[in-house]
Amino acid sequence: MENVLSILFCLTLLYLVITSRLKTYVSILRAQGVLLSAIMVFPFLHHLSVHILIIPLMSLVIKAIVIPRFINKIIIDLDVHRIVEPSIQPFNFLLLIVASMSTIFVAAHVLSGYTPIEPIPFASAFSAIVTGIFLIIFRKKLIIHVIGFLILENGIFLFGTSVAAEMPTIVELGSMLDVFVVVFLMGIAINKISSTFAKQDVTVLGRLKD
Amino acid sequence: MSILLVLTVLPLLSIGVCYFVPSRKVQYIISLFAAIAHLVCSYLVFSGICIPAENDFIRFDALSKLFLLILSHVYFWVVLVSYSYLNRPLIVKEEKSKKLYFMMLNVYLFANTLALISNHLGMFWVAAETTTLSIAPLIYYYRDKESLEAMWKYLFLVSVGIAFAFIGFLFLALSAGGTALEGQQLLITSFTRSAAQLNPIWLKASFIFVFVGLSTKIGIAPMHPGDIDATSNAPSPVAALMSGSLRGTALMGVLRIYQIMVRTGTADFARTIMIIGGLFSLFVAFVFMFKVTNYKRMLAYSSIEHLGLITLGIGTGGIAFAGAMLHTVFNSLTKVVLFLTAGNIHRAYRSREVNSVWNVLQAMPWTGWLFLFGFFSIIAMPPFGIFFSELMIFQGLLTKPLLLAAVLFFLFFIFVGMSKTVFHMLYTAPSVEQTTIISEKFEITHFASLTLLVLLIALGLCMPAQLCDIVGQISKDFGIIL
Repeated sequence: MENVLSILFCLTLLYLVITSRLKTYVSILRAQGVLLSAIMVFPFLHHLSVHILIIPLMSLVIKAIVIPRFINKIIIDLDVHRIVEPSIQPFNFLLLIVASMSTIFVAAHVLSGYTPIEPIPFASAFSAIVTGIFLIIFRKKLIIHVIGFLILENGIFLFGTSVAAEMPTIVELGSMLDVFVVVFLMGIAINKISSTFAKQDVTVLGRLKD
Repeated sequence: MSILLVLTVLPLLSIGVCYFVPSRKVQYIISLFAAIAHLVCSYLVFSGICIPAENDFIRFDALSKLFLLILSHVYFWVVLVSYSYLNRPLIVKEEKSKKLYFMMLNVYLFANTLALISNHLGMFWVAAETTTLSIAPLIYYYRDKESLEAMWKYLFLVSVGIAFAFIGFLFLALSAGGTALEGQQLLITSFTRSAAQLNPIWLKASFIFVFVGLSTKIGIAPMHPGDIDATSNAPSPVAALMSGSLRGTALMGVLRIYQIMVRTGTADFARTIMIIGGLFSLFVAFVFMFKVTNYKRMLAYSSIEHLGLITLGIGTGGIAFAGAMLHTVFNSLTKVVLFLTAGNIHRAYRSREVNSVWNVLQAMPWTGWLFLFGFFSIIAMPPFGIFFSELMIFQGLLTKPLLLAAVLFFLFFIFVGMSKTVFHMLYTAPSVEQTTIISEKFEITHFASLTLLVLLIALGLCMPAQLCDIVGQISKDFGIIL
């Protein structure tokens, strides 16, 4: 079941690449939040307890509700232009992502022969990390950079669940809180940037250099 | 237990007070009290007078003790001068930033302490990310376009960098596949103990991710730009804090992974990566030292240079490793002097551009002379401590003559570039339309800088036995017999 959910997670990434509406980006973030929480719960479906549910519930609240709402609020408050302005042709971008994903899946399959990893969640996680980075590189709007960062974080989160590294609950909660505060601070910064500069994209941030 | 309470709970209480009490004076007194208590406790732990309780998640080994003392030292001086700094009339917009200032400093102290004493890599990660979050609003102190851009870049680059470091930690967990550690907590002690069984490929991948990710925070080239912008646009005490202690905390993350790797066959790989990173940082500092026209950016590049040198020393091993540890101490203290005095210059001349600053030595004799001596210290002139630590690094590099030649070449030209800028600021006579300003009084920043310079000389001339012991112990922990 985790494999099916991970594949769904990968499909959201592909959708992310071809869409040009900002609203869809936020919906995808929401969907990923739900998928991640589901992936966390599934292994424990037969012996559920409050202790096990804390982290998935928190992740559901933060990743699927709070953060997307916050980003939506920024988009509405700042009246960000709703169409994404890519600095690369959408088709080329799709090709790039598909090529990276295929490489990652093949590599994960090869690696799984040597190390105890689950190839599909592992490859999906890395695809998300790569997609997040490409979004940051190939999009101009700062708000999409924040979304790219969140996709990257989602990838790491999925990777964390596939590796099965034991983390104390407090550390997991702390890391989620950290991500939330990062996004919150970035939101405030975008707000300030839009009131200080005319636009909210990277082209305005070129004052500091040697 | 009580020591641990003072180190962590006191900053937390102080955060609460700073949040609820609007009076800046009360905030200052409480923060200063927390800083002094933290300094005393760190010293007690450092000198071995008090042995704090340890558990799976908290550990005070020699490395933590040294970095904790550096943190409390730098933090104490920064808090001490902060009140007078906040009272300087500069621009109106700062008023809003001032409300947050002491609270964020306390968050920084709390998170940084936790990062330094944590034995769990997940906990280290959370704490290190929190230090970024606490420092970001402080970078935006002046509320102008430059500081906004600097804050955005720092927050974004470091957050992405630290996310990469997390992938590195997860790789470390993967490296334990098939051993008794599989599925266990990411405790540094247990991983160090069973290092020999870890999978070398994942261990190498882990090191690359952690090193590259944390480089954004340490300031190792080519991941340094966010760091440079942040350090040069933050208010001087915050810049001193970043250069003096924050970079060290990030370095600690790299050192922790390296500590696990030295017990395996992958140690040479880590050393090579660190030497390449260090050398490239020196190269970048060498190129930009001739290009910078902003003296705070010059100091930021100097931090890149010194952290590069420290990483190079760690990678070289042997006596150079011990030199690198001492260099961390001396560099941190010197950076506090330089940034505080640079802050005074910025206040008087209202510009960070080198060409807008002239004749500092006559106009501001206290600041000018202290800046000059701070400069002497950072370029490793005897009898300042950095001279001796650099000498140790060079001694370690004697086995690699080509590398030593390259390092000396870069350092010499960095020295030339930096001197050109510094002497221009201190000595250039004002032209007709430029009038030289004010004479200055002895202030608390001068007191702090003077004390630190005296301390740097004292540490250089007669190194305390405790410091030698701790550095010896750290070297032993990293498998180096001095």
